Amino acid sequence: MLKRCYVLPKLNTFVYRSQRHIQTKAPFDINDTDDQYKELNTMYSDMFSSYPKNSISNGTPTETDSSSECDDLNKEFQDLFQIDNPNLSGQELERNVKSPGRFILKSLSNNPYYNLALEDYVFRNTPVSKNITQDVFPNHRLLFYINNKCAVIGKNQTVWQEVYLSELQKQGYELLRRLSGGGAVIHDLGNVNYSFITSRNEFHSSFFNELILKWLYLFDKTLPITLNKRSDILFDGKKCSGSAFKIAQGKAYHHGTMLVNSNLDNFHGLLKPKDTPGVKWDSPSVDSVRSNISNISLESTDRFVDICIDGFKTDFKGSSPNEIPVFFCNEEETINDEILSTIDTLKSDKWKYFSGPKFDIEFLDKQVLISCEKGMVTKSNVPGLEGTQFKTLWEDEEMHRNIYPNKF
Amino acid sequence: MLSTSSITRSLARTIPRAVSGTSRTPAFRLFLRCQSTSHGNNNLNKNELPFKFSPTGPKLVKYSKDHEWLAMHADGTTFLGITDYAAAALGDATYIELPEADTEVDANDSIGSVESVKSASEVYVPVNGTVVEGNTDLESSPQLINSDPMGKGWIAKLKVDEATNKDILDKLFTLEQYEQFLKSDE
Repeated sequence: MLKRCYVLPKLNTFVYRSQRHIQTKAPFDINDTDDQYKELNTMYSDMFSSYPKNSISNGTPTETDSSSECDDLNKEFQDLFQIDNPNLSGQELERNVKSPGRFILKSLSNNPYYNLALEDYVFRNTPVSKNITQDVFPNHRLLFYINNKCAVIGKNQTVWQEVYLSELQKQGYELLRRLSGGGAVIHDLGNVNYSFITSRNEFHSSFFNELILKWLYLFDKTLPITLNKRSDILFDGKKCSGSAFKIAQGKAYHHGTMLVNSNLDNFHGLLKPKDTPGVKWDSPSVDSVRSNISNISLESTDRFVDICIDGFKTDFKGSSPNEIPVFFCNEEETINDEILSTIDTLKSDKWKYFSGPKFDIEFLDKQVLISCEKGMVTKSNVPGLEGTQFKTLWEDEEMHRNIYPNKF
Repeated sequence: MLSTSSITRSLARTIPRAVSGTSRTPAFRLFLRCQSTSHGNNNLNKNELPFKFSPTGPKLVKYSKDHEWLAMHADGTTFLGITDYAAAALGDATYIELPEADTEVDANDSIGSVESVKSASEVYVPVNGTVVEGNTDLESSPQLINSDPMGKGWIAKLKVDEATNKDILDKLFTLEQYEQFLKSDE
């Protein structure tokens, strides 16, 4: 579905260009007496404009005509697919993000690193008044993005405790550590992510999901959806959406997943259960709350996004006379140094494997004890392990088999 | 911690849920309800290290708009933590990310974070200085952030030069100013 949207700005541009071609000077001399070109010109003017036929023959076509078919066609595309703009350039993104006001931003990229970096960029650069006495935060932002297959762990989790790395690799899932709290989740193209940016003052963990619930009910009041105590959205009692939050610089965001048509069967065996037999973890690492999951019964991720956009535009319009704009972006055009640098951080081993809580792991069978801090072994009863990288140790299959023979 | 204050706090936290449970309230009405109206005592706990580090107590206690407190002793040793108000607003802490010793920090740098119920909240240092140590008690007992945020739950110990930070320190809130700031917030 997103692919279709991706093509549309191009279609849009195409129509616009055709229009420009007939309105500016032709790349050859138009000779009114030349029947061959006249016929061609007449054909194009018939196709793309509502000028009277003879207007082209006077050699001074009007530059703009608001009622031209091209404009109509453009508008039709825009209305139908909500494309007011093609993708924002890096500069346009910066201008919009740093200016006050609400907007919606839809990423057409499926690169999880780009999407998380984009979200962080918008979050960090959204203005918040130094004097936070305003009644209502005026600069709410709502983002949507869909990621290619990946596992995403919380900021304060331990990679090896949460996921089967080898299994992720085999099945083609990227591994990411995000910047917000919470537990591990799996993404694919059937899952859409939303991110609501607000002020720290207004932030409340259940606020935005309650709105989503309201909007979904408005769309279909028979949907069997509820919120649980952790403010996650349940469909038929199973989790279809998980949330995490970040608070910084007087602002906060609530981002969440929504499983719409994810291939849930493929998710099995990627995340680790709470307890692995024969392995004992001791760590202040943040726990993942294991839950049964389900897709929500909507026909597409776009349907979910549209429901939220409509609801957001209605409920957050406030007293402004203008509609809240929807912008589009992708990683080729909507990019800047700050986003690139965050992508580098998110991709780095330092962030993924050499940060996060310290931990002790014990392999009960062989009575092997390993203590780790920032991804480095600080203590072990196996000689020679101290000072080595836990990541390297974990990747050494022979070593691994010796310590723990089962799936890891 | 007085049990009455924690009850008031948890009540305050449940109000938005109860109000919006009907899902009929317009979005903006909720915002006002979301803001917690209860915060207890933002005084430094006089029985713990951040106060007792010097026999006469700290020379200076200041507060930031990001809800950090700072207790500076005569030798420049300065303790940093989050206020009672902030701890109550965040809810039960599950993990505290601590700064590393010997890190030089600039004013407004993030020096760690408090994770509570899926939310990672950054902690900023309002002054320039050097980290002496993080409070490792928080590694095994993150709940100290909630039970005693202005005492046992201190986050970082820093070395801060008072003279070079004078302008910054002057601009930070006193307790009265911080309480006033919280009131204007509601």
